[in-house]
Amino acid sequence: MSLADLQAPAQENWQKLKHGPDPIIWSGLATCGLAAGQAEVLDAVAAALEHNAIRAQVVPVGCIGVCYLEPLMDIEKPGGPRICYAQMTPDKARAVIQSYLVNDDPRPDLALGTLGDGEIAGIPRFFDLPMLKSQVRIVLRNVGLINPEDIDHYIASGGYQGFQQALSMAPEAVIDEVTESGLRGRGGAGFPTGQKWRFARQASGSPKYLICNADEGDPGAFMDRSVLEGDPHSVLEGMLIAGYAIGASEGYIYVRSEYPLAIKRMSIALEQMRNCGLLGENILGSGFDFDIKIKEGAGAFVCGEETALIASIEGKRGMPNPRPPFPATSGLWGKPTNINNVETFANLPVILSRGADWFASYGTEKSKGTKTFSLTGKVKRSGLIEVPMGMSLGDVIFSIGGGIVDDGELKAVQSGGPSGGCLPARLANLPIEYESLAEAGSIMGSGGLVVLDDKTCVVDMARYFLSFTQRESCGKCVPCRLGTKQMEAILEDICAGRGTPEHVTLLTDLARAVKAGSLCGLGQTAPNPVLSTLRYFQDEYDAHIREKRCPAAACWGLFRSPCQHACPVGVDVPGYVGMIAEGRFAEAVDLVRERNPFPAICGRVCTHPCESRCQRAQIDDPIAICSLKRAAADFAAASGHLWQPPLAPSNGRKVAIIGGGPAGLTAAYHLRKRGYAPTVFEAANRLGGMLRWGIPGYRLPDDVLDKEIADIVGLGIDVRTGHAWGRDFTLPGLREQGYEAILLAIGAHHGVDLGMPGEALEGVVDGVRFLRHVNSDEGMRLDGRRVVVIGGGDVAIDAARSALRLGADKVSLVYRRTRAEMPAHASEIAAAEEEGVELQFLLAPQRVVGSDRATGLECLRMSLGEFDDSGRRRPEPVPGSETVIEADLIITAIGQTSDVPLDDRGGLAVSRRGAIEACANSLVTGADGVFAAGDAVTGPDTVIRAIAQGERAAIAIDRYLRGKTLAEEAILVGHAPPQSSGEATDEEAEEEIKECPRAIMPCLDVERRTALFAEVAQGFDREQAIAEANRCLHCERSSHAEPEGGEG
Amino acid sequence: MSEQVERILSEFQTGGASRQQRMGYVLPALQRVQREFGYIPEEVLHRVADFLGVAEAHVYGVATFYSQFRFSPPGRHPITVCRGTACHVRGSARLLNDLRKRLGIKVGESTPDRDFSLDTIACFGSCALAPVVVIDGKVQGRMNRTKLFKRIDALTAQQEAGPAEAQETQQ
Repeated sequence: MSLADLQAPAQENWQKLKHGPDPIIWSGLATCGLAAGQAEVLDAVAAALEHNAIRAQVVPVGCIGVCYLEPLMDIEKPGGPRICYAQMTPDKARAVIQSYLVNDDPRPDLALGTLGDGEIAGIPRFFDLPMLKSQVRIVLRNVGLINPEDIDHYIASGGYQGFQQALSMAPEAVIDEVTESGLRGRGGAGFPTGQKWRFARQASGSPKYLICNADEGDPGAFMDRSVLEGDPHSVLEGMLIAGYAIGASEGYIYVRSEYPLAIKRMSIALEQMRNCGLLGENILGSGFDFDIKIKEGAGAFVCGEETALIASIEGKRGMPNPRPPFPATSGLWGKPTNINNVETFANLPVILSRGADWFASYGTEKSKGTKTFSLTGKVKRSGLIEVPMGMSLGDVIFSIGGGIVDDGELKAVQSGGPSGGCLPARLANLPIEYESLAEAGSIMGSGGLVVLDDKTCVVDMARYFLSFTQRESCGKCVPCRLGTKQMEAILEDICAGRGTPEHVTLLTDLARAVKAGSLCGLGQTAPNPVLSTLRYFQDEYDAHIREKRCPAAACWGLFRSPCQHACPVGVDVPGYVGMIAEGRFAEAVDLVRERNPFPAICGRVCTHPCESRCQRAQIDDPIAICSLKRAAADFAAASGHLWQPPLAPSNGRKVAIIGGGPAGLTAAYHLRKRGYAPTVFEAANRLGGMLRWGIPGYRLPDDVLDKEIADIVGLGIDVRTGHAWGRDFTLPGLREQGYEAILLAIGAHHGVDLGMPGEALEGVVDGVRFLRHVNSDEGMRLDGRRVVVIGGGDVAIDAARSALRLGADKVSLVYRRTRAEMPAHASEIAAAEEEGVELQFLLAPQRVVGSDRATGLECLRMSLGEFDDSGRRRPEPVPGSETVIEADLIITAIGQTSDVPLDDRGGLAVSRRGAIEACANSLVTGADGVFAAGDAVTGPDTVIRAIAQGERAAIAIDRYLRGKTLAEEAILVGHAPPQSSGEATDEEAEEEIKECPRAIMPCLDVERRTALFAEVAQGFDREQAIAEANRCLHCERSSHAEPEGGEG
Repeated sequence: MSEQVERILSEFQTGGASRQQRMGYVLPALQRVQREFGYIPEEVLHRVADFLGVAEAHVYGVATFYSQFRFSPPGRHPITVCRGTACHVRGSARLLNDLRKRLGIKVGESTPDRDFSLDTIACFGSCALAPVVVIDGKVQGRMNRTKLFKRIDALTAQQEAGPAEAQETQQ
């Protein structure tokens, strides 16, 4: 039998299908499709076809890679293109069959894209979709497009032509071709395939064996599974080519037992090959004998290592052996053996049929061709992709993957599975190649790419990987067996709050020892996750160890509940939410005030990081914690509740606090609680800082602000308004007056200039100054004015929304990047849009147009280019794209610095951007007895962080004044350790939780809003507040101890 | 049981087989037993060693090395939680913890009434649908606590209803 004898009937069958009278239903039947519910969809399809008396060809296909939209089902009507429908359910399937096969409506609303010839209005081309567009599908050429259980489909698509080409060459010539192509082992190590074959060819011994490593043990990797389930013949043809080249007569596919569908499809494929004479003796009349058997793995990750794999086939425990001798000379049963990965084999047929040069035209100099990846984790479009070597990580994550889910931020991407490393966001431009990944501290690995966001803890990831490799360690060599165990134990200590600084040194030493001393790749690479996270995320380890804090709020061993832990102040969130649930509003607001004296304010303007970690979000929506806090504060105030916190008896010791904003007032409060006598010096005529001058009344009404400040001051805090540092007093002068410590909490009120021509013209004002005018000038109006705001933060948005309320004819906002990158809170941006602010993105201001006053703003269009250090695409100017926006009031809001008097700095260090330098832990500055907190240190930041800084300052000053050395002990603001398992009750685990959406905040109508500065958010009523608070899961009540008996 | 065992073993051609071939049958034979009984009964392990002419210590070493093999019967409804990377990042650790407390058993154990058994697996390879839990051999993606507990409630009700009614309530 020749290949031509097989091709004719194969073509005929394929044509009969594609051009036959019956519609075709292509059904994504890989493991992921089934897991998503494809079986139920198919049942519905069968029923619908029968009901409508339609005869159709239902063809199973593999996974086309758009896994996040599974189940996928394609319909191809005679004469039309194949249409892919996504996220199928039995109902949708019935609907599409009805509307497209019975009537002629292809339902563009349910369709994802078309494939093949022909177009349909309203449905894009499938391979033009953003996820597919930049992919190059060589390995995946047939996956999702043919029936993997029908060899005719494979042959009709050009199958076995590569093998036929190989048979027409001498085996050595085949090896040369593969060498020239530059193909490197796709299992992870990247050893040049041609060279590996040469060793096996040259070795003496018979028979020679060929093994396909289909163990794919890396958690998070499913590329090989998809190829085996979707296009098994591509791998088998590759094995024939390899077997011929090295002179092997027996082949094994070692596939993990966890892949039953892959095993089934491989078995069917092998049977079909035998029937066609493609396996057995004298294949295609060439004299070449070859047969392939399937061997199942039994659940051991280490068997992905060559010598362990061989031991497993030999019926032994999967323990590796020292190399040399290498398998090429002495492998399976002591005979010359060549092992290659599934993907390596799948490349071979096209290398042979299209030539080495064609293959080498893809990729980079040292990494030729393409690579498949399982793109998973916190990415929007997760699935199976194939890209040319050299594409950047950022392009994969953002262009193909669509960026981070839930508007999160990219933190890192983990490549290479448990053997690889975590690459931080700032390496987004890194090209995907063997060498560059290794240099950066990771490896290519088999192709798992796990995307991590700000909610993922990298220390926990290191621990997770270590627990995996430790469990999978075969135990043969001491460095791996004991080293991984000790590293895992140390990481568990760190994640549970028992970490010490010595642990980091110990971890590093152990990691190096394990890497150097282990017998096989498992041990040699097990330390990689630890080493790479230590290299790039030292600060996260420090936070866990020194501050008992997990920045991602993911390490449950460190906290009572993630909401409380995410709060910079660490307010007892479950505590006060629980009280609100019982209508105990006054108690709730007093509980908040134990730590945060601004509940009514934070309940309105806080960025609520607590809500971003609320576990309720996994069921329906996060609890509206911020608004609940407001409700408690408002109801308590309305009922006339008097706040009477316990105050330590006064010790008469004076502390000067310069700045009456949130940081300064919080510090004053906590110092007063501890018995000190703080005096607040405020330059303006009223207290409040940014709360007063920066946040407009429609977000924070004046009367709420006044009451909250009065409550604090009323506890006995001395206030001197109209006292400006430098003008009215100096630091030495304060000391002479008996102030034993000084806190600088002056904020950052000085708007940064853009440095553009025309900025000094009349009609140009910086955002902070503008807002100050708005908040202090009762009569200010902007009727008839055309306003442009420059910037993307909260000040810019506040300025824009205020301008509208002051009667401006038109308000636009220009920002040089895109919406997704704006620092302002998403809800604020949405509100601005609703109210009529015109948001214009990718525009960078160049100069102000006008002679003595501004008449317009000239801008240049930007386009997004490569990634910068923050992992975001850098905007690049589009030459010649200048455009002028007409405006007579230009408000600049691109950043703020602090006004530190030049001639009273003493030992203070002030950074170039105008911030006062202070120790992050104790807030001590370079001047003795002088502390600094808030925006003056951090630059513009949120209110809640300023409040946390204020408390930290008070704790530090208290220690200082009691004579303690500040460097010794870390100051833990708001640390609330988890309950010990003794105290915890598990009642919560028994109750059934019904889905229930979050309460919706009633808001002023849009038309009414812009007519006044009245507060937009109206506040929950009592029933709403109590109902919403009852949705809380009370995570603090369940024990968070790691499951005993671990992972099994 | 011994009839079943002999039937299974007869699938392996040991007549005239070399030591190499007989050793090559060790894993497949154990896998066959695991598939048939759901676990490896101790006496069957002895029989396998005997049949293949391989030392018992060797077969025991192989059986205990690979995580596929169980030595106690699984529950009527085996539950396996995927602890792969993508599933971990999407919260499978908490899911496992919740399940462990709900069922009152450790990983690798079965409930006293033998209704459920709990296992973990390193990765199912359906990472885009994380977190994944396999119940009764059926891979279920995008799991959360509510869905999981609902499923367990349904299966428990099914068990209590008894075999006849179980037919009706079967989904």
